[in-house]
Amino acid sequence: MEDSITFLHSSDWQLGMMRRFLGPDGQARWGQGRLDAVARIGAVATESNAAFVVVTGDVFEHNQVERQTILRACEALKRIPVPVVLLPGNHDALEPGSLWTSSQWQAHAPAHVTVVTDTAPFEVVPGVEIVGAPWRSRRPLSDPAAPGYADLQPAPAGTTRILLVHGQLTSLSGGMSDVPTIDQTALEAAVTDGRVHYVGLGDRHSTTRVTDRIWFSGTQEVTTPEETDPGNVLKVTIGSGITVEPVRVGAWHMVDHKVELYDEESLTALEDWFAELPDKERTYVRLAGDGSLPLPLLSRLDALIDAQGEVFASVERWTKFWTVRPAPDAADLDALQLSGPARAAMEELRQALAGGDEAAGAALSLMHRLARDAG
Amino acid sequence: MRLHALTLRNFRGVAERTVRLPSIGTTVVVGDNEVGKSSLVEAFGLIFDLPDDSKSTRIRDIQPVGQDVAPEVTAELTLGGRELIYTKRWLKNRSTELTVVESDGRRTSWTGREAHNEAERLFHEHVDPVLWQTLMVSQGQSLVLPTPADAEPLITAVTAESGTPVDGASMPLVSAVEHEYLRYWTRGGRATGDFARSEKTVTAAELTAAQALKAMEEVQQDIRRAERLTLDLADVDSRLSDQLTAVEEVRERKQATDEILLRRDSVRSRAETARARLENHTRTRVERERLLDEVERFTKTDAELTERRADADVVAKAAAETVQAAEAALADVIELKDLRRSDVQDAERRVSELVDRAELERLLDQQTELADVRARIAAAGTILDRIKVDDATVAALEDARAAVVEARAALAVGVPEVVVRRLGAEPVELSASGVDGRVPAELGFDETAELLVSGELVVGVPGQVEVVVRAGGEAATLRSRVDDAVRVEKELLKKAGVKDVAAARELLRKADTATAELHEARRTERSLTANGDPGERIAVLTARLGDPEETEESGGKPAAVEGVPGQMSLFEEFASPLDTLFDDFEVPEPEQGDLAGAQRLLDQARAELAAVERMLTDAEFAVAQSRKAAEEDRSEAQQARARAELAGERLAAALETLETARGLLDDDAVSSAESEATAEVEAVLAELTGVQAQVDAAGADQVAGELADALAVAGRLQSERDGLRDALRTTEGRLEQSGRDGLATRRDLADLELAAVRAEHERLQRRAEAARRVYETLGRHRAEAQTKYSEPLQSRIEALGRGVYGPSFRVRLDDDLAVAERELDGVRLPVEALSTGAQEQLAIITRLAISHLVSTGDGSVPVIFDDALGWSDKARLRDMGALLGRAGDHGQIIILTCMPDRYEYVPKATFIKLDG
Repeated sequence: MEDSITFLHSSDWQLGMMRRFLGPDGQARWGQGRLDAVARIGAVATESNAAFVVVTGDVFEHNQVERQTILRACEALKRIPVPVVLLPGNHDALEPGSLWTSSQWQAHAPAHVTVVTDTAPFEVVPGVEIVGAPWRSRRPLSDPAAPGYADLQPAPAGTTRILLVHGQLTSLSGGMSDVPTIDQTALEAAVTDGRVHYVGLGDRHSTTRVTDRIWFSGTQEVTTPEETDPGNVLKVTIGSGITVEPVRVGAWHMVDHKVELYDEESLTALEDWFAELPDKERTYVRLAGDGSLPLPLLSRLDALIDAQGEVFASVERWTKFWTVRPAPDAADLDALQLSGPARAAMEELRQALAGGDEAAGAALSLMHRLARDAG
Repeated sequence: MRLHALTLRNFRGVAERTVRLPSIGTTVVVGDNEVGKSSLVEAFGLIFDLPDDSKSTRIRDIQPVGQDVAPEVTAELTLGGRELIYTKRWLKNRSTELTVVESDGRRTSWTGREAHNEAERLFHEHVDPVLWQTLMVSQGQSLVLPTPADAEPLITAVTAESGTPVDGASMPLVSAVEHEYLRYWTRGGRATGDFARSEKTVTAAELTAAQALKAMEEVQQDIRRAERLTLDLADVDSRLSDQLTAVEEVRERKQATDEILLRRDSVRSRAETARARLENHTRTRVERERLLDEVERFTKTDAELTERRADADVVAKAAAETVQAAEAALADVIELKDLRRSDVQDAERRVSELVDRAELERLLDQQTELADVRARIAAAGTILDRIKVDDATVAALEDARAAVVEARAALAVGVPEVVVRRLGAEPVELSASGVDGRVPAELGFDETAELLVSGELVVGVPGQVEVVVRAGGEAATLRSRVDDAVRVEKELLKKAGVKDVAAARELLRKADTATAELHEARRTERSLTANGDPGERIAVLTARLGDPEETEESGGKPAAVEGVPGQMSLFEEFASPLDTLFDDFEVPEPEQGDLAGAQRLLDQARAELAAVERMLTDAEFAVAQSRKAAEEDRSEAQQARARAELAGERLAAALETLETARGLLDDDAVSSAESEATAEVEAVLAELTGVQAQVDAAGADQVAGELADALAVAGRLQSERDGLRDALRTTEGRLEQSGRDGLATRRDLADLELAAVRAEHERLQRRAEAARRVYETLGRHRAEAQTKYSEPLQSRIEALGRGVYGPSFRVRLDDDLAVAERELDGVRLPVEALSTGAQEQLAIITRLAISHLVSTGDGSVPVIFDDALGWSDKARLRDMGALLGRAGDHGQIIILTCMPDRYEYVPKATFIKLDG
């Protein structure tokens, strides 16, 4: 293990990102959480004796983020005790007006941080050469990784060469990407013929192994519930072979949860599910729901979601997949002991709801609540 | 509830009184003012409202003034099927006792606070406060129409009757629904409160987000622009460096070809020199040819002009002669004209003379006549001078005559008339004085003298007799009158120079004749001297004519126009049509004194003068023409002379120039020099063609142009590059700035804010819509229900009202079941528009109807009127009385009044009299 080298691979920090579903308070804490995760990367670097850290793109959410974001990012970077190499990605491309060329960045960037601004290989630590393909525009015209390895010769003996690129792989994008994708075959060829020994990919937020030597590190902190394995940093050790180990640094959770609600039991099950979730204050829950509930249970469901919204960072009904309807039955209405016009009005609303009038459902719930409280 | 008895002790002015009331039927409690009728109602209220330890002023108010006694009330009533005896004493010895007897006879008693609470509980359980307030009409409230919608017993009753369920318990829901609705909406249906505010917040957030987005889009555009500019700049840079390489290539080629061009320039300059020399020689030759040609031309011109000069001189001479001839002819005609003019003058003189003579003759005749007339004037004047009688004289004479006759007549009457007749031969002598008439001195034989004796008549026959007749005194007077008259007459006659009146009249007639003649003669004289005195004119004419004899002679020899031979010869040259004038020319001898003839001669002479004047005009014209022609010819001749002289001079000059030129170089030398120069030029040009071929082969001429073009392109590319660089720098500067501004963060924050306020707004909107839906749905159902359950009350009111107002009576109720409109005989009026009496009646009817409706239920309460019907007339009182009486059939009606006669028509009423 004398000649092995260990470094950390991260990407998609997306500093300055906003999530509307979190609300102002959640947003502030989550934003801080992303910086905390960066600091934890520093801790992991210390623990694992990493020689340096590479970040493969999208360090910042945007080239026009506010000053506070830049300065706080610089502070977080200072918490990493080893050299850090940053690659401009599609969000913070090295385009005109880029953050990287701004006086704000250049005045505050810590000395141990290097931004890859061209495709020339450079030595980050002795024996390790880094070559990167920075994005020069957020709409590149061709494979954004190709410039990184196209002109490379095989690495000199004794030199470990790491390629940093950013973008979707043709194989993983599903052909839906509207920007050119990275040719995986060519990339693998560059690894195979020894031009590079490791390819650090960015852009995909879930930690993903492409090959032994080609990895997406994923984002350091979750950004949407769709991400399958976010919140890791990759500890890469290259010696005679290679080992890549994801180390969790994220503290947040974003969860999609689908429930079917039709009776008290199912509602109770949901209550239990909420109760069992860890890290509630750092968890965002997006609820998909289907089914129908009697009016009292519906009121209970509303109260539940309302209360959990206070406990969790945020609990949202997933509007697109939320189809829980009130199902008022005669017993509900009888229980209210209404008669006369009030009973007739409620009956009318109930029938309208049965006839598919969604608005009548809300009205009915309201009237139910008012009648119950008034009674 | 039924009220059975009320006992008041120490209650206001009442020391102690018990009033018992029948539990059904109409009771009229009668009492004067201040006996405490109203206290009964008040006491009933107080016993249920206030505990015995109450410190309320209401209690203090009921304590009799100045008495330290305890007010006490006992009420006996039926409540929910139970009998209650309820006594309460306040202020002193306070106590509360309640005894309840159940329907099955069980009896329970409470005291103190428990009694109060139990009584209150029972009261609230069985008495609907709204109904109670509605049916208990205190003093002065009888006009107020009840609004009983929230009275539960009524609702229950109408529900039972209408079959429409009315749930009194829904009232809290109704107000809760309304409260919920009003959280989001105004009654007018506009958004309000947080809901309205959130709408505004959304709008504001949308605006902010749109602005932030726009700012960010501008940044994106700048980025794209900068990218484009960078690409363009790179492109232009590479093209520029290509171009600069091209420029260098062309420059090298140019250096190589410059030598050939230099040689061509040298040959070209030699060709220029040769060509200049050739041009010089050619010019000399052309000049020589021109000189030769000029000499030839000038020689010819000179000859022509000399000839023309001679011709002009001849013509000028001839013209001068013509002028002379014309002038001579003109002089002749002038002379002839003078002759003709003197002819005319002679003829005029002749005519004038004849005219004068005729006038003179006429004037002489006139003068003769004038003399005659003047003689007649003088004669007439003489006659008139002589006659001293005029109309006045004659009249005076006639008057005088009449006076004489009159005096004589008077005398004849007054004096004796004496007739003396000589009868015999004896002379009779008469002498008298104062006797009128002539008294003959003697009478002849048989002569009679009749005398009037005014004086004294003496008749005597001489010797024989003498008779003296004397007139008396009277006679003397008469006599003197006669004498006066006669004297007057005589004086007049003497003055007139006539003998008597007749003569005077004759003279007067003669004078008239003479005057007439004088007038006639003077008129004639005037007419004759109208044109002045003919004598002057005659003198003038005579002077003008001179001696008449001589005049006649000179006039007889008029100047004859003689032939003018010189003239004839003059006119021979001008073949004039007037020539015939002279052929026929003849002056007829005018006859002596033939004025007409003389006139004719004058006209003729004038015509001839006119003809000659025409000839003169023609002659003058001819002279002018000929003079003008001569002038022209002369000037022509002068010009011809001048031109000829000029031509001569020019010719001499040309010849001199030619000679000088020839002196320098003769004609042949000129020619050969030109040929040599031509040959030289051709040789140099051939050399030039050779060099040019070399230039063309090397493309030397194009190289310079290519170099210029290449440099221009390079320059253009350079400035294009500079422009792009500037634009890029500007854009990058802007981007640097927008990076500092954190525009993306701003946009994201704005989006976040917008999403948040939108979500909040949507949440509120859903709630607001739900609240509105519930509010509207419930409201609609309530309105429908109320419409239904207002029917029983309405029909009850109408049934009662028809008893008072007849079959056309109708009412309409509003949502609160209050009477809103009354219809009578088809006329609908809102209740406010009704008379006070009608309003009161309607209020009573409504209350009775309500009472009737609720009478069957447990919740019925007594109807209490504290003085009513104060506004109704007698007829209505009767009808209302009947109504109040019938109402007693269904319940307890209590009427408090101080005017019992108002209620005398209430059948079956119980009257209770309260004494002071």
